[in-house]
Amino acid sequence: MQISTQDLDGGVTRVELDGRMDIAGAAAVDLKMNLIAGSAKKLLIDLQKVTFLGSMGLRSIVLPARAVHSRGGKVVIFAPNEMVEGVLKASGIDSLLPIHHDLAAAMAALQ
Amino acid sequence: MSISSYSAAIMPAEDTVRPAPRLILRSQLDDMALLWPWVEALVAEYAVPADTAFAIHLCLEEAVSNVIRHGYSGEPSHAVTVDCASPGERNLVFTIEDQAPPFDPLAPGLIDEPAAPSPEDYLRPGGRGILLLHKFAGSLAYERLSGGNRLTIGFVLPG
Repeated sequence: MQISTQDLDGGVTRVELDGRMDIAGAAAVDLKMNLIAGSAKKLLIDLQKVTFLGSMGLRSIVLPARAVHSRGGKVVIFAPNEMVEGVLKASGIDSLLPIHHDLAAAMAALQ
Repeated sequence: MSISSYSAAIMPAEDTVRPAPRLILRSQLDDMALLWPWVEALVAEYAVPADTAFAIHLCLEEAVSNVIRHGYSGEPSHAVTVDCASPGERNLVFTIEDQAPPFDPLAPGLIDEPAAPSPEDYLRPGGRGILLLHKFAGSLAYERLSGGNRLTIGFVLPG
């Protein structure tokens, strides 16, 4: 599991996850995700390269998102594949974190 | 026979290497790493389409981790046995057995599906795991064994 960040226009932090968000993958990114969430105000969680998502992976997304929300920030999920999006929607997470497939729309939602 | 030697013993010796129909894990989350390659081998063997393969990985991860974390309360060195069978042309059935205290993941009330879940619903370890198991399994059945539990998870493959 890989994790990288990029600063985009408008104070948006893009965090790109790459790999399987299974139990081991979630454990591998938790610390970095929480560090990023500790300072980001507008967080775009890019799931384009995530090939699997389980309940522990969901937890690794919700925990940092809650931290950003608690400081008045915004979080969106970007470009999950069809199966990963199925997990996000089955779990109801889309009611907490909007899912976008268009980058411009995702950026607009963070402003 | 120890768990690890048993796992090695069930590897087939024929020319055509087929995935072993049984995987035995110790009750520690590190052992979950053995699940992925085992399922991948079965998925290749049975030509399982990608979306069903995803559902199999998801259901087994949720069910087995639930046994390790909750059934055995994180105590290592117990066994979790996962069997795979293909009872029909286009069916795959996984059976997970443990020797943990009774736990029926199909019991009413375990699947709380609030219209607007709160972050805390996700933050409990495995908080959404049982819900995902219910949504992605083709079929689910639970039996209480004498001194253990058996969960059967079925998938129908497109014909």
